[in-house]
Amino acid sequence: MLALAPWAVVRARADDPPDPTSIRPQIGDHLVYFDGPNDGKPIRVADLELGGPQVQAYPADPKGLLRDNSRLNLIIVARVGEDGMSEETRANAAEGVVAYSGVCTHQSCPVNMWSVERKSFVCSCHGSIYDPKNDADILFGPAPRHLAALPLKSENGLLIVAGPFNRRLGGEKG
Amino acid sequence: MKKLHISTSLAALMLAGALGAAYGADYSPVTDARLKNPEPQNWLMTRGNYQGWSYSALDQINSTNVKSLTPVWNIATGVDSGHEAPPIVNNGVMFVATPYSQVMAMDAATGDFLWRYKRKLPEGFAALHNTSRGVALYGDKVYLPGLDAVLVALDAKTGKVAWEAKVEDWKTGYYMTMAPLVVKGKVLVGVAGGEFGVRGFVAAFDAETGKPAWKTYTVPAPGEPGSETWEKPDTWKTGGASTWMTGNYDADTNTVYWGTGNASPWFGDQRPGDNLYTSSTVALDGDTGKMKGHFQYHQNESWDWDEMNAPMLVDFQKDGKTTKGLLKPARNGYLYWLGRNEDGTINYLNSQAYVPQNVFKSVDPKTGRPDVDVAHKPSTGKAAKFCPGLWGGKDWPYEAYNPKTGMVYIPSNENHCNTLEGKVEKRVLGQWWTGVAVPDLNFSVDTKAGFYGELQAYDVNTGKRAWRDLYANSMNWGSVLTTAGGLLFAGGTNDRMFRAYDAMTGEELWHFRTNSGVMAPPSTYSVNGVQYVAVASGWGVDPAFQQSLMAELVGWNADVPQGGSVWVFAVNK
Repeated sequence: MLALAPWAVVRARADDPPDPTSIRPQIGDHLVYFDGPNDGKPIRVADLELGGPQVQAYPADPKGLLRDNSRLNLIIVARVGEDGMSEETRANAAEGVVAYSGVCTHQSCPVNMWSVERKSFVCSCHGSIYDPKNDADILFGPAPRHLAALPLKSENGLLIVAGPFNRRLGGEKG
Repeated sequence: MKKLHISTSLAALMLAGALGAAYGADYSPVTDARLKNPEPQNWLMTRGNYQGWSYSALDQINSTNVKSLTPVWNIATGVDSGHEAPPIVNNGVMFVATPYSQVMAMDAATGDFLWRYKRKLPEGFAALHNTSRGVALYGDKVYLPGLDAVLVALDAKTGKVAWEAKVEDWKTGYYMTMAPLVVKGKVLVGVAGGEFGVRGFVAAFDAETGKPAWKTYTVPAPGEPGSETWEKPDTWKTGGASTWMTGNYDADTNTVYWGTGNASPWFGDQRPGDNLYTSSTVALDGDTGKMKGHFQYHQNESWDWDEMNAPMLVDFQKDGKTTKGLLKPARNGYLYWLGRNEDGTINYLNSQAYVPQNVFKSVDPKTGRPDVDVAHKPSTGKAAKFCPGLWGGKDWPYEAYNPKTGMVYIPSNENHCNTLEGKVEKRVLGQWWTGVAVPDLNFSVDTKAGFYGELQAYDVNTGKRAWRDLYANSMNWGSVLTTAGGLLFAGGTNDRMFRAYDAMTGEELWHFRTNSGVMAPPSTYSVNGVQYVAVASGWGVDPAFQQSLMAELVGWNADVPQGGSVWVFAVNK
């Protein structure tokens, strides 16, 4: 190993095309399971358990190119049903399925846990809790902002991205 | 402040203009000899000396005049979260690491701001604790372990990057928060990430070039000594034993003592066996990293009791003779006396509880192995309550040893417990994987106890408690500094106080209310014959989380204001 930072990331030139594996989800992208028994497969509405918990996902273009080269693309998807959904969340949901950024707005940890008691998303690092039926409103903990929602539609039972994230991604940094 | 060091201030003022130029020429390189015998006017490493005492021989500030201690200068760090790094001082220049992998350099006497290094963390980077416990110095460089598991060497004069060395891939859950330990031209670092199921190690890099020198895992691979303590195949691969605090060093025997964290996931029944070298102290050869010895505080860890702090190197009286020893107030609530042998092996001598603990029925007087009460051992599908809770009798904040009083000073907490029940979870790289979710930690306290945090002093020879100070309305997260002036300095409470105590009696002699809670270790140094005491104030991470739980349990104010700053005090003559 050389002494002078051979592992430093080579900065992309301004005229380089953006890396398709790290750009934000695009309209028409599929959502693909990040872990679990279906890892790598596109998510279908019917696969998801009604009432949660969430599954983790990354976006992929229609040809299957996965955009998992940026952790800010981590998405959580849950079939929570339309009962009690806020107007705003209903507008972004497809068949009772909601999608949000999986990156906590506190310190960027994955929002990978589920509270059975509160039927809500939980960040595993510092315990922030987000309401999936109300635009990921903060129910508890140090998170300063709602999670960004990702508008969805369904086509033949398959979940498709219908618009960009509705707010800034990631945590607060000093 | 009106009469404060008129002459010193004037001299500093006159020098200030020339400082930028003068500082480069004046900076005295840090050598092995200086690290081995650090001069009292400087604070060259996290705990002041290789023995890990957090002790200074300076006595200009003492129990008589400490009541006149006054702030001399203060600087904002510009970041939030838990500030856990001591001001490191060499030749009148102060270096402070802050959360989010930044380093600030100041003139230690005047507070003139010299430079700042701000690490650009990767997009989407996340760490459980965005803190730093400090920089190390060697030659003309300053070493910062980046949160993203990259070791960075900076030019001490300019703050410019001299080299970077990748320690591990942060995406797999490794990150770094400890201060490095420099041993004979090598920079030693450990890793955090136990909650993400990493396999711990200590790694060494050439101080001049950043070239990797050695790497010793703290969980043995199959076939290596200790691998038989991982009875279920493959559990060792994700076994934890992270190394998230700085080690200490015996220069006479060239032995590095490093502490290890708990095992992963948290519940022992998921990884049968003793699980060496989790929750242990390991003794490593200073040149090669080869393991020379170890001591495991408790086996088949199931309480999140990391034993990450290295023991202090203290020579105490045992059976009428001076014994080269190791002294450690463990997270498991016991204070340990261990033998520090010439060949690097560690032998058990004695232990006693320093806070009430309901897990050990007894401790084997020969081996130090505890007999564990399974009623208080959580496992998969079986909840169990244990006390102290997962933050232990003490967490990472440093105890201190004062050779003049012969006492060890322990920042501790009691009257708290956790009730945990494990689940089997699939591991996702870089994500929380402990077997229990954060909302299910079931933290509880004895609301009738009358206190939670405390500062305790024990005689290192007899084990007798000399005094203690109890905090009715706060936990204690304050690292302790002790001095030849017969003093202790510590913060650690939710009321934002920084305090001075009489080291002999425990009497509080002075306090000052800072901007935020003080979790960082204080340090002391002198410039131009004037002694200063310095500390960063900045509340966050676990104390903030614990405070939010105490808000629900006993009604404390969950909001201890965050935002860091560095305070420097001197005596108003």
